[in-house]
Amino acid sequence: MSEIAILKGLQKNFGKFQALSDVTFTVNPGEVVGFIGPNGAGKSTTIRILLGIIKRDAGEAKIFGKDVWRDSLEIHKRVSYVPGDVSLWGNLTGGEIIDLFLKLHGGGDKQKRDELIKRFELDPKKKAKGYSKGNRQKVGLIAALSVDSDFYIFDEPTSGLDPLMESVFQDEVEKIKQKGKAILLSSHILSEVERLADKVVIIRQGKIVETGTLDELRHLTRSTVTLTTKDDISQMASLIGVHDFIQKDNQATFSADNRYINDILKQATTLGIQKFEAVPPTLEDLFMRHYEG
Amino acid sequence: MQEKFARWYTLFLQHIKRDWKKIIIWILGVGLFSAGFVPVFEEIAKGQGLIGMFETLQNPAMVSIVGPTPIETASDYTIGAMYAHEMLLFCGLFAMIIAALHVVEHTRKEEDLGLTELIRSFQIGRQANSFATIIEVLLINTLLAFLIGGMLASFGTDTISVQGSFLFGISVAIAGLIGAAIALVMAQIMPNSAGAIGSTLGIIGLLYITRATTDISNITLSMYNPLGWLYLTYPFTKNNWLPIFLALGFSIIMVIIAFALEGRRDMGAGYLPEKEGRVSAKKSLLSVHGLFIKINKGVIISWLISFLILGAAYGSIYGDMQSFLESNALLQQMFTQSGFSIEASFTATIMMVMIGLVVILPIAIINKLFSVEHRLYLSQLHATKVTRGQLYWTNIGLAIVTGIVGILLAVGGLGGTALAVMGNQTTMSLTDFLVAGFNFFPVVLFFTALAALALGWAPKLGKFIYAYLGYSFILTYFSGILDLPNWFLKTAIQSWIPQMPVESFELMTFIVITALSIGMMVFGYFGYKNRDMLEGA
Repeated sequence: MSEIAILKGLQKNFGKFQALSDVTFTVNPGEVVGFIGPNGAGKSTTIRILLGIIKRDAGEAKIFGKDVWRDSLEIHKRVSYVPGDVSLWGNLTGGEIIDLFLKLHGGGDKQKRDELIKRFELDPKKKAKGYSKGNRQKVGLIAALSVDSDFYIFDEPTSGLDPLMESVFQDEVEKIKQKGKAILLSSHILSEVERLADKVVIIRQGKIVETGTLDELRHLTRSTVTLTTKDDISQMASLIGVHDFIQKDNQATFSADNRYINDILKQATTLGIQKFEAVPPTLEDLFMRHYEG
Repeated sequence: MQEKFARWYTLFLQHIKRDWKKIIIWILGVGLFSAGFVPVFEEIAKGQGLIGMFETLQNPAMVSIVGPTPIETASDYTIGAMYAHEMLLFCGLFAMIIAALHVVEHTRKEEDLGLTELIRSFQIGRQANSFATIIEVLLINTLLAFLIGGMLASFGTDTISVQGSFLFGISVAIAGLIGAAIALVMAQIMPNSAGAIGSTLGIIGLLYITRATTDISNITLSMYNPLGWLYLTYPFTKNNWLPIFLALGFSIIMVIIAFALEGRRDMGAGYLPEKEGRVSAKKSLLSVHGLFIKINKGVIISWLISFLILGAAYGSIYGDMQSFLESNALLQQMFTQSGFSIEASFTATIMMVMIGLVVILPIAIINKLFSVEHRLYLSQLHATKVTRGQLYWTNIGLAIVTGIVGILLAVGGLGGTALAVMGNQTTMSLTDFLVAGFNFFPVVLFFTALAALALGWAPKLGKFIYAYLGYSFILTYFSGILDLPNWFLKTAIQSWIPQMPVESFELMTFIVITALSIGMMVFGYFGYKNRDMLEGA
């Protein structure tokens, strides 16, 4: 099976404002793609284009090999979506709304629904206008997770959820992933993306600035190394690939370019290593680099 | 086609399920209001009633409000003719506004709220929701037509024929359809749901005023007015079905235009752009009154402009009125006998209408304070040194000031235009108009105070002030036409005030209602100061 979703050179303008200038990435079967970027970078706009809710101005966007605008209905048969801010009809109960969403999706597993309601600890008898933000979010999640889709689109799905519920959500996503479904997960909770995503796409000012597996991205950046040596450690500072060198007696902390790691370690061994610690960059480090850069 | 309307019926059933209570109230409310007054009219028609009513309604002032009749001589005027003449336009207008609000509520409002986004992520056509809403309105109005037709016919009154009854029902229903169609178009053009509602009501208001002028000056022109179609069917007299077909065609075309517009826009965006705001606050915003002026600004300005236009529109009728009077000997006699000029009598009647409208603005401002409280907008303010008293009295003050300016503009527009079109054929001066207008100032205070009382003690009842306003408006509206008992009339606050310039000023009434209103405001303040804030509850 080929790609689930393909986006190529996607562009979108709102009046004079260019929201997306070049969005290009793919989602493959069985892959969880983490879609991250600062507020206003164009994540939700991209997702809305994928859903055929708004129309792109240029570029190509396909899901299951079909055009997202022209064949949106065909696509929606096998797609589930949870927005970051689920709005509900105030005078219907959570249970009613979930059932409605299952019906609108066409299909859905009643047993799964009940199980999820229990797991997410949602009171389905309450009217939606009485729900807090987190509870509204649960309604959206339960509806999306109770149906059998091939592509799940989550736009900051856990906003407003407590950490317990967040981990319930992550469990469920793992299950979907194991079934070989594709997921596009936009989130600000980077630990969540780190845990779930196979591939990360970073968007900034309407443009994709980085794509790759977490390992690949890490490889491009630096690890944080803490080193204690017997001999004078200060000469490490001048090596190529060593940055932000901070020395305290014979202990030093610095960030090391992964490309030069071999040379750096060779030099270190000549000084007599007493202690060595290397921490790979967190997604947050990667992310901050793009935020600031 | 699939992409556009797929599974609209699922949404349609969902609408019905969600709205069934509203639909029942809607159909019964409009239906009973439209068809239930036959016994009352039979009562009026006794003795010389029909002839008297016919002459009264020949008055251009009345024609401008209730519409025309095709009957030319009093002896041909029947109960049926009178019923259609007095009821049809008003009922149709009622049906039209409700349908328009319903359409915006279900389409653009849900889009603004983010509901549409979720719905669209399912296998639902892009325009399925609009289509489902229109079908729902169509269904409701069809039922309405049958209910009204059946009920009217069931009274078995001689001159209320079965054909006429159903034509009457269909005319009311078709008005609902026109309102829905206009609203659906505006829901596409405007940047948000508030804009869609405002512009739709504005258009309906404009159509009403236009038909008031053309009904008096040249009735054939009213045939070009969508609002004209509903009463130009003349049920029980001419039974003219042509306007129904015109209206049907018009509605279909409007709906098609709306679909075309909707198909070409992004969800959440309109065709008119939203203005960009400023980076930092202007100095005028940085105070409690500055804040409330700012958040009410749009509403205040648009209402004030409508008051002025409305006043001017009614004012322009005065010219036609005089020429009309010259052509009708009987009417001339009537007015000479009463000792008042036709313009004075018209002013007295129309002033009630103007005041009824002006009062909406102060009520809206007071109710707004509760709606921002309810939506948590004030949470941060409550945590500052701003007192509840400041919030309360600022809004009361704002309401009263807009009430005064409202009267000034409405009456100024009326008087100014009236005097301009009448030239020097009248003895009335602008002061006479303004005095007649500000004579009703206690009514404005009274409604403001009612809203304030609700705000302080039972804020959820705030919206029912409009219901009371509507009630007293309808009551005063019918007081000129129906012979209602005095105690019943007095339940409308307006009827306590003498109708100047035909009646003379009563200082005592003026002072008593003013004092009563101020007392209610103070009492409301104690309620507001001490009650729990209802934030999001």
